[in-house]
Amino acid sequence: MQKILVANRGEIALRIMRTIRRMGIKSVAVYSEADRHARHVLFADEAVCLGPAPSNQSYLNGDKIIAFAKELGVDGIHPGYGFLSENADFAQKVEDAGITFIGPGPEAMRIMGSKLAAKDCVKAYDIPMVPGIQEAITDVQLAKKIAGQVGYPILIKASAGGGGKGMRIVDKEEELEEQMERAISEATSSFGDGSVFIEKYVTSPRHVEIQVLADKFGNTVHLFERECSVQRRHQKVVEESPSSILTPELRKKMGAAAVMVAKSCNYTSTGTVEFLMDDKLNFYFLEMNTRLQVEHPVTEMITGIDLVEEQIKIARGEQLGFTQDDLKINGHALELRVYAEDPLNNFLPSIGTLEKYVRPQGEGVRVDDGYEEGMAIPIYYDPMIAKLATFGRNRTEAIANMLQAIKDYKIEGLSTTLPFGTFVFEHEAFVSGKFDTHFVKNYYTPEKIKEKQKNNAEIAALVALKHYLDSQEILKPVDNKSTSWKRRLAH
Amino acid sequence: MSDEKKSFKVKSNEFVFAFDKAELAALDIFQKSPTWYNLIKDHKSINATIVDANIAEKMVTVEVDGESYTVNIKDELDQMLEKMGFGASSTRHVKEIKAPMPGLVLQVSVKEGQEVKEGERILILEAMKMENSITLHTNATIKKIRVINGQAVEKGQVLVELE
Repeated sequence: MQKILVANRGEIALRIMRTIRRMGIKSVAVYSEADRHARHVLFADEAVCLGPAPSNQSYLNGDKIIAFAKELGVDGIHPGYGFLSENADFAQKVEDAGITFIGPGPEAMRIMGSKLAAKDCVKAYDIPMVPGIQEAITDVQLAKKIAGQVGYPILIKASAGGGGKGMRIVDKEEELEEQMERAISEATSSFGDGSVFIEKYVTSPRHVEIQVLADKFGNTVHLFERECSVQRRHQKVVEESPSSILTPELRKKMGAAAVMVAKSCNYTSTGTVEFLMDDKLNFYFLEMNTRLQVEHPVTEMITGIDLVEEQIKIARGEQLGFTQDDLKINGHALELRVYAEDPLNNFLPSIGTLEKYVRPQGEGVRVDDGYEEGMAIPIYYDPMIAKLATFGRNRTEAIANMLQAIKDYKIEGLSTTLPFGTFVFEHEAFVSGKFDTHFVKNYYTPEKIKEKQKNNAEIAALVALKHYLDSQEILKPVDNKSTSWKRRLAH
Repeated sequence: MSDEKKSFKVKSNEFVFAFDKAELAALDIFQKSPTWYNLIKDHKSINATIVDANIAEKMVTVEVDGESYTVNIKDELDQMLEKMGFGASSTRHVKEIKAPMPGLVLQVSVKEGQEVKEGERILILEAMKMENSITLHTNATIKKIRVINGQAVEKGQVLVELE
């Protein structure tokens, strides 16, 4: 492979290109008119403009991307996450054009891309699943009937969904119609497929996922778990590896289940098998994500394996260079997603310009980002500014490093999830490891951050006043001197 | 002592504090370097950094715990001047719905002149690929619709006016 096109933007495009360059391969960036100045465009060896800012006219235009790839003699396309990364038709078209798709085969993507087909596929392997109805629904009356049988609260999920889009919790029947309408509409606009299904909403679940890696020779390994229970709007904000609740036995059991899920669809490349875990540590298969995950850095930090490098090696037909027994967990890693959102205002998007942007540095700190000071966060795409990850020899050290890194991360001009991160990593429930996906609902109120900010504001006010008064004092001796000078002149 | 009688009124970002000279004198604070202060308050050792200082404008930017605070100082004279200039605040009663975030208006669900009940949807605003229903918190009549489907709006932009 001589030249790889990265069909993505932002931090992930940049992160993939860094590995591509390290492997001695040329990179091609794609960009929308809103991203002409983006870092991934500046970093790449070649770059092509796909069109106007909205994703459906740029980053989702697969045919245009393939046409450019052919024109530029590209021999591999890496889709990143989001956009076209889980679009089996796109993967098929890439292969048909004689270009290697750096990811799983279209068939595995097709199966796992549909949550319903996925459940059907793994059924034969005795993997536990969440109670619910395994069929697509558009009829509201039918939905009401099924929800009544399963029992509220229920979860409406887009079959083609991911990242919380097209997903709605419904507590009572009256809300079902409106919520379903929104979920279908969101699923249609985000994934081009409006089918949704209904599941029992498991209360107090933890979200634990297993990273798998499979080559084209039938070797499949898992790279342990990631705990992603701290979420807002069903989207992860904090991830870590290893999980503080998994025993070595449970880890082995879940790892084996994940490997089995991957094998059930002849999976290749990197993939993530997501499980829900209840308070009794029972785990249920949720879905498989057929892509590189946003939170992959924590796995890289504890295994020392570059997952993008592995993806490229697998895509070009190499065998895995290690077996399951070679893989060991070393230390502990945490990740905080830094979103342009206001944690004091219901996590609503806070768009603006990065008036100040200084990254934290130091040992055990990793920042995956795609922005520089002075850049604006476009409204057209995900509001993620960066992923801040820290490593420690153990969980305590990783948390301490994270708290320091958050302090050292200077972002001004818009609100971010950084203060929320401090709240999480200082919280007793997180520190003790006793938390679930309701962490935000159970413990978080903006007042707690507000109170801390008020205390700091008071300190700042006192220091400023002291500094101001002292600075004024300095001016006085100058006056005295001039007076005595005048006095001497008079003599 | 009430806050009005204190010597200094200090605004630090959106928070306002009042201090008098005795409070300041009682502080356990020392200047380690021209921009580095250490303060011991409630037995906590706190470091603060002066990021920017405009003494003439009485404006100092201080960093505490990784966050930056812009501090405006008003002494007794400033406070007196402020009081004299006060009392001219104008209050206009305009009922309008503003965009809570920047985004794209996906669908306006109401018409001008329409009576809308509390909880009813006014429009759908899409931001970051999430669809948000903007609903009404009281019963009202739509006076004027200021946006159209597909329009990009800024945070705080007026979407509809109410009667």
